Amino acid sequence: MSDIAIKIEARFSEMGIKVQPDEIETRLDQLINKFKVPPEEARRNVINYFLKQHNIPRTEFFEKRETPQVKASEIKEDGKWVTLCAKVVQLWETNHESVSQVGLLGDESGTIKFTKWAKAALPQVEEGKSYLFKNVTTSEYQGQFSVKLNKTSEIVPIEDDIKVETLRVTASEIKEDGKWVTLRGKVVQLWETNHESVSQVGLLGDESGTVKFTKWAKAELPQVEEGKSYLFRNAITSEWQGQFSVKLNKTSEIIPINEDIEVGRSLVEYSGAIVDIQSGSGLIKRCPECNRALVKGACGEHGKVDGIYDLRVKAVMDDGEKVQDILLNRKVTEALVGITLEQAKDMATEALDQAVVLDVIKSKLVGRYFTVSGARLDRFILVNTIQQDTKPIDEEIIRLLGSAAPVAQEA
Amino acid sequence: MAENVSGNGSGFLREVAHRIFAAEFKESNLQAKEGQDQYSPSYLITPTGAKCNRVFIVGTLTEKEDVGTDNEFWRGRIVDPTGAFFVNAGQYQPEAAQVLAKTTPPEFIAVIGKPTTYTTKEGNVLTSIRAESMQIVDVATRDRWVVDAAKHTMARLERLKGNEPDAVKAREHYSTDVESYRAMVQQALESVRAK
Repeated sequence: MSDIAIKIEARFSEMGIKVQPDEIETRLDQLINKFKVPPEEARRNVINYFLKQHNIPRTEFFEKRETPQVKASEIKEDGKWVTLCAKVVQLWETNHESVSQVGLLGDESGTIKFTKWAKAALPQVEEGKSYLFKNVTTSEYQGQFSVKLNKTSEIVPIEDDIKVETLRVTASEIKEDGKWVTLRGKVVQLWETNHESVSQVGLLGDESGTVKFTKWAKAELPQVEEGKSYLFRNAITSEWQGQFSVKLNKTSEIIPINEDIEVGRSLVEYSGAIVDIQSGSGLIKRCPECNRALVKGACGEHGKVDGIYDLRVKAVMDDGEKVQDILLNRKVTEALVGITLEQAKDMATEALDQAVVLDVIKSKLVGRYFTVSGARLDRFILVNTIQQDTKPIDEEIIRLLGSAAPVAQEA
Repeated sequence: MAENVSGNGSGFLREVAHRIFAAEFKESNLQAKEGQDQYSPSYLITPTGAKCNRVFIVGTLTEKEDVGTDNEFWRGRIVDPTGAFFVNAGQYQPEAAQVLAKTTPPEFIAVIGKPTTYTTKEGNVLTSIRAESMQIVDVATRDRWVVDAAKHTMARLERLKGNEPDAVKAREHYSTDVESYRAMVQQALESVRAK
């Protein structure tokens, strides 16, 4: 307690004001010991009392206090005053009038969200510029930390361009929504984009597994190629229905790397009956520009184009408890159905109808039992191997008869 | 409901296809509807407590007939080790109707479809399946289905002892004779057992 008193006295004398240590201590003692006020609150109360007495604005007393300078990744506590030297990585739309600016700050250690209150009356910051953020408070919400810029804070532009580094992760470590990460990975697959706001979408993989990625059109990033490896800097993680993905936006960087990353896949297996073959299966045409499947000869993005033939199956499997969508690419489809893409084209030409291929696929798959294995992706399993279920059923029969046995004894 | 359907990301949930033996399906007459909307799915609750909006059956097509007047309307009789299913396919199920039209019985056939019921003037409820898809299969698939249906029926009989809503509804409505269903399963399994 006397520690607090000494500090208060010292701070006041710095400002050229003499206050009696006894008086400080008496006040503190009364608050802390008699009225059970927490020490921090008591300290605040005592300071306010003397400030009022000497007619000093609160800000003046606190402003000159030096707050410790920290790195973004060191912010792990709520309600601390800190100073941060960081770059404005991104500005977001503010969704409340009380907020003047909101976005992301980054330094060599990582990134952190910031909120600048309208009431703080601070200058505007710009994306891509670096600043010294003095006297900001830390805050925590649902395990995520951020800094708030208020009336007491100061923003000083600096010349240095701070190199922002985000957390290095592997594909399988992505288990949290809204984290800024850097990962190296190989583009395992590119898919059709289904919206003009998306420039590329597909699957990234590293030794630990695979993760879906989305590259926004607005990000204006270079195109990536299937089978090539890259360093993806400052991607943001995202979660939807329990599935994680990374999004590449304006802040992100894609750097090609001279390394062939070995992709480790976590494979899943599923057994059941194929109960439906969905539209868009069989002999299809894809857009030569974006690989999207054409609908009536037209691409959603590029209009009427000369499509490239492909063979694929989108099917629904069902084990009587739950359903599972599966996706068979050309190679798997050819092997399973026993028709090559060339043969499929010939069949369609002869019949003047692409649907003949689909009919054959349906007749060979629907109503039959299969076991598939592949990588799980969204609601699909991207099938690597598919086999008609031929394991002997005798064992299962004996097991089930065993559980039905009481009947036999009673009968 | 979570165990009965599966999300596909578009908000649409596909119903699981239940495996039901013919003898149990024939006895089913308890309908349930979820929600008041005309588009809310309707279900048929079976004596062992399967709440079906879709079924998957495999059996032997033994008879077929076009019973339509203006348009083709095909009806088939499909037999499993416990009895017979009636399966329909009309102009709104063109693919299934085509398969039924071109198939000469007897033939092993797999059907995925919606359970439907019809109440006669006498008040009897007749069940049938409106086929969504239908394909000729082999004997191995048929045997595998019998084992699959047996497995699921046994699991439902086990759940029938519990307090899950569908089990309670089935028990109250049918006063299900668990032992006779066990006997049905056993007989079905014996019929596919390697001699």
